[in-house]
Formats: sequence, C-alpha cells, structure tokens
Amino acid sequence: MNRRGFLRGAAGAGLALGAGLPALGARLRGFGAGPNLSRVEARYYVKLPDREIECRLCPRLCRLGDKERGYCGVRENIGGTYYTLVYGKVCALNVDPIEKKPFFHVLPGTTALSLATAGCNVNCKFCQNWEISQARPEQVEAFDLAPEEAAARAAASGCPSIAYTYTEPTVYFEYMVDTAVRAKKRGIRNIVVTGGHISPEPLAELLGVVDAVKVDLKGFTEEFYAAYVRGALKPVLETIRAVARSKVWLEIVVLVIPTLNDRMDLIRDMVRWIRDEAGEGVPVHFTRFQPMYLVKNLPPTPVSTLEAARRIALEEGLRYVYVGNVPGHESENTYCPGCGKVAIARAGYAIEALRLKKGKCESCGTPIPGIWA
Amino acid sequence: MAKARVVVIRSGSVWSPAGGPDPAVAARMFARGFSLVTGEEDGPAAAAALFRPDDRIGIKINTIGGRAISTRPETALALAAWISRNGLLAKNLFVWDRTTRELRDAGYALSAGRSEVRVFGTDAAGVGYGADLVSHLGVGSLFSKIQTEFATASISLAILKDHGLAGVTAGLKNYFGAIHNPNKYHEGRCDPFIAEVFDAPPVKSRHRLTILDALVVQYHRGPSYHARWAEKFAGFVFSLDPVAADAVGWTIIERLRAAAGLPTLSEEGRAPSYLATAEKMGLGRADPAEIETVEETVA
Repeated sequence: MNRRGFLRGAAGAGLALGAGLPALGARLRGFGAGPNLSRVEARYYVKLPDREIECRLCPRLCRLGDKERGYCGVRENIGGTYYTLVYGKVCALNVDPIEKKPFFHVLPGTTALSLATAGCNVNCKFCQNWEISQARPEQVEAFDLAPEEAAARAAASGCPSIAYTYTEPTVYFEYMVDTAVRAKKRGIRNIVVTGGHISPEPLAELLGVVDAVKVDLKGFTEEFYAAYVRGALKPVLETIRAVARSKVWLEIVVLVIPTLNDRMDLIRDMVRWIRDEAGEGVPVHFTRFQPMYLVKNLPPTPVSTLEAARRIALEEGLRYVYVGNVPGHESENTYCPGCGKVAIARAGYAIEALRLKKGKCESCGTPIPGIWA
Repeated sequence: MAKARVVVIRSGSVWSPAGGPDPAVAARMFARGFSLVTGEEDGPAAAAALFRPDDRIGIKINTIGGRAISTRPETALALAAWISRNGLLAKNLFVWDRTTRELRDAGYALSAGRSEVRVFGTDAAGVGYGADLVSHLGVGSLFSKIQTEFATASISLAILKDHGLAGVTAGLKNYFGAIHNPNKYHEGRCDPFIAEVFDAPPVKSRHRLTILDALVVQYHRGPSYHARWAEKFAGFVFSLDPVAADAVGWTIIERLRAAAGLPTLSEEGRAPSYLATAEKMGLGRADPAEIETVEETVA
C-alpha cells in the first residue's frame, strides 16, 4: 500500500471499527522494508560524561550509554546525543468519535483525527494496544506524517480535534507538541489520552498547547502500579493535579479489573482524592475490562461492579460519573446536577440528544463544564 | 553432585598484527573449549555430544556495541566453520542478532547463499517475530522466529561486558536480543527478567552451549564501549551451564576492575543479582564453590 492509500484507508476505518483496535499498525510489521526511524533531537534530557545521557521526559529518568534506548524503546542515545526515533512516524491513524477516547465533555458528537507512534513508557499487563505500544518503532509499519500534514489532514477530514492516543503520547512528545501548535493555528483542538507518566516540565509545556487531557488512573495503590502497570502511582497523581490546576480540560478513566483493582474501599479513597485534588466537576469514567494481552485469566468486569463504583463516586460528591465499555448503559448519559435530567443522551459512541445551550442545561440552566463549541 | 564446569581458553596470539582476531587461532581455541566442556577429544565427537547431525544451529551474537565491542565476524564465523568441519552442515548454521543495521555496523557482511553459513537479523525479509505472545513468569514477549522456528539448537556467543544496570551482560542476557521488547526488562537490575527470558521455552528448550567472547572485555562503564576500560583479555569462556559461565564472566570482570583499582560491582550496588535468581530457578550454578573453572592457554 502506498502512503496515500494508507492515509485514505486509515482515515475511513476508525468509524467502522467501533471499539476495536486502531485500523492500521495494530500488528507487528512483517519486516522486509528498512526501518522508518526519525533522528530528531529529544527536548528533555541532559548530557553526562562519557557519552551518557539522562532522559528527563518521564519519571523513569532513564540513564543511557551510547547506543542504548530508554524504557519506551523509541528514544536512543547516539554518540551522546539523545534522539526521538518516532517523530512524524505514525503507526495508527483513524477518524474516531471523540466519545471513543473517551471524552464526554469535549465537542460531543464530533470526530477526532486520532494518531499514534509506537512506544510506551509503562507496560500494562492489560494493554489493549500492546502490539504497537509495546513495540519498538522498527517493528511496526509506520508512515511519515509531518505535523503540518497531520493538521491539514484533520481539517480535510472534518475533524475539529486531533487526538494523541492509542499508545502513550508522552513518548512522542516533540511530535505531539509540534503538531498541536500547527493544529491550533488552524483552529483545531488538541486532546491527549495519557497514562500520566510525564515529568512536570514537559507537562507544563504540553499544557500550554493542548485543550484537553484524559488521564488513565489505573489503580490507587503503588503496589498495583508496580505489579500491573510497571510504573508508579505518585507521578500520575501529580499529573492529574497539574492538569486540574491548569486551563486544560481534564477527564479521568478508571479501568476496573476484577480482583486486581476493584476493592470498593480503594475506589472510595480514589474518588475522594479526585474530588479534593481535581474537583467535583471532573468527569470520571469507570470502564469495563476485557481479557487481553497478559491478563487473559480474568473475566470481563461485571456491570454491577462498575455501577457500584459509580454509586460511590456520586456519594462522594463527583458530579459526572460514567460507566464505560457497556454500550447502551444509562450511565453513558450526562445528567444535569441541577435538575437531574439527561443533558446529553448517548448510545455507544453516538449522541442521541444534546440538550445544552451555551454550556448550560436546556431544562434548568445549570452550567455543565466542558468544551462545547 | 558434580560441579559445573567452566572452561576459559586464552591465547596470546589470537589478536593478529592487523588488529582483528585471527580466525585460525580462534578455531584452535574453539576446538579446545569444545573438547574440555564435552570431555570428547576429537572435534566430531565433541560436536556430536551437543548437536544432532540435522540440527539447525542459531549462533546468537551480540552486536549492539558496534564494531568496537561486538562479537567479531572473525570470531562468529570461525565458530561456525569449526562446527561445520565437525559434522554439521554449513547451510544449517546461522549467525544472527536483532537487526541488519546492528550486524552491518559490527562489520558483518550479510549472506544470502544457501550452501554457506548465513548471517541475518530478525528484521530480515521473511523472518520477524513469532505471532504468538509468549507469557512466561514476569515476561510477555514475542520471540524471534530465528529462535523459535529456524533453530533447533542455539549457542549464546555473547560479549562479556560490564552493564550499568545488570552489573554484567553475558550469555544469559544475550537472549534479550531474541525478544521484541528487551527495553521493558531492565528494571530492578534486570532481575528476574534475565533469568525469566532464558527460562522461557523458546530459549531454554534450544540452548546447548554458552561461549563468552572475552577477546575484549568492557569491565567498566558498559555496555557501551569505552577504550579506557576495555581490556584485551584474549579469551573465550565455555560452559554447558549458562549460569556458571556468566558467574565466571563476572569474576573476570572483577579481576580486571581490581587491577584497574576500581571498586567491585557489589560495592557499586550493582552486583548481577540475576545470577542467584537463575540458580534458584534451577537454570545452573552461580555459587563459585559449585563451579570448577579450568583455564588453559592455546598457542
């Protein structure tokens, strides 16, 4: 397939795929062609003696000798200079409903040009996109898509936003920021789907150019993060706190996995923390786990568990709490905290009714926070 | 129980005046090493002790360090030639690593002929990684088809180096180059991941012999090459016990570090703890008291 065919096919495939994986790149490359790697100097690292470097992009602070790569697998020390190998090297590109990210309080009913490069700075045992997130860039099929081209592509596809998603956008930070700047000039918004493992300084730069961030809060203990995410909870909480204090819109997703992170006392601790640190108006999505990657021995999350988590969150004062990955569930809807009526009715990724006027409930006029236009 | 045998063969003439390893000397070192680890005097018997005549042998080398600190072509091809002279078909021998780029950077000419020893990377056309994710203990990886499909037996022909995280990189860690995501397994000083990757069926079921390429040993600030801390040790380390081979490799590194006035790896807080883990998993002996080391010099 040539590049144009790739882009055309990818752009059309997202809607048809529904909840599935990205249309392209969701498999390891068959090899044969030469690796398509960039060599763009990374922005957050320090040079050390003897051609060593320390990466400062994420809390791992990988210290690397010459020819070594970081945990993410997409940044390499070449002779004492640190490079991103995935700048503009897109391995997944789709036009997705924004609800799929999920963002429920950002431009409902619109589509987002959704893209990714290979790589991730954690290794969740339940990753749904592991074939691209846990791969090195040589191992996935990638096409060149310069920042300006991505912005133009979004405009041409009628997408009012670009979503940096599927893998971990932090690992393609430079590309994401440059693309966001160009998209912004075209009036296109930028939304980020992240696990939250990013250092404060690059996060601050990112928050200066994007409009919304969805953070996956994968659990609420360090033990869970160490065992199942191969990361740490603390920096994720710091990221959530920083986004909440910025002007950037924040939503939080909690994937609830049977027996691993579904203790209701911990869910209560979590939602209290969210309420106190991020605010009661932050949308929280409790989403359903499906067995995959390295966790295939557990069943899908019972809907009753998600409902119980939602109930606790509402009890603790959160206003917008959703149940996810359960198409048709009544808790996909946005309920006005003022009158209790449905302000946004959803069915899967489709918007059935949008009863907002200038960000306020049509019925009672209560403001509902979000990015609505 | 008998001790694990590790054989260290050195030669003062293995480095040719031209600067590279002398394949003829290397071949003599291999002959002696095979003989001492198998207990068979003649070459065909030694080879037959390890391989079936129809085995397809993958010689996994390490070329991440570029030309300065990789398994040299003269070394790997001398090993393959020695094996083919002693009962195995050359076409059933392949020297391999992760990528074509790394092989080329280390000085390898990639071969395409069907009757000769082949050299290629996992990224070569028609190769790649197996489709099935191998989930084994704490490891979840795709393995190179060279390891899972092409080879029926494998040799870890690894460079012996200091490693900033693991302490020592040698024969066990060499198999990180057989998985698609080694970057995910450097936490906790690579422990227990080095042992767990080796223990995974695609490796454990095929591994027959460890040979540490200690012609040049990077004994400090590895795994990258730093001439200041690289020593022409002029040796190979052989063992049927993959853990014991690496344990002896560690002692060599400590010996060189001591001679250079450097602290031990333990003192630097990066002793290769994965060796004890590998021993606990039953993969071999890490305890020096359980290892018999035989050292010889070849002219």
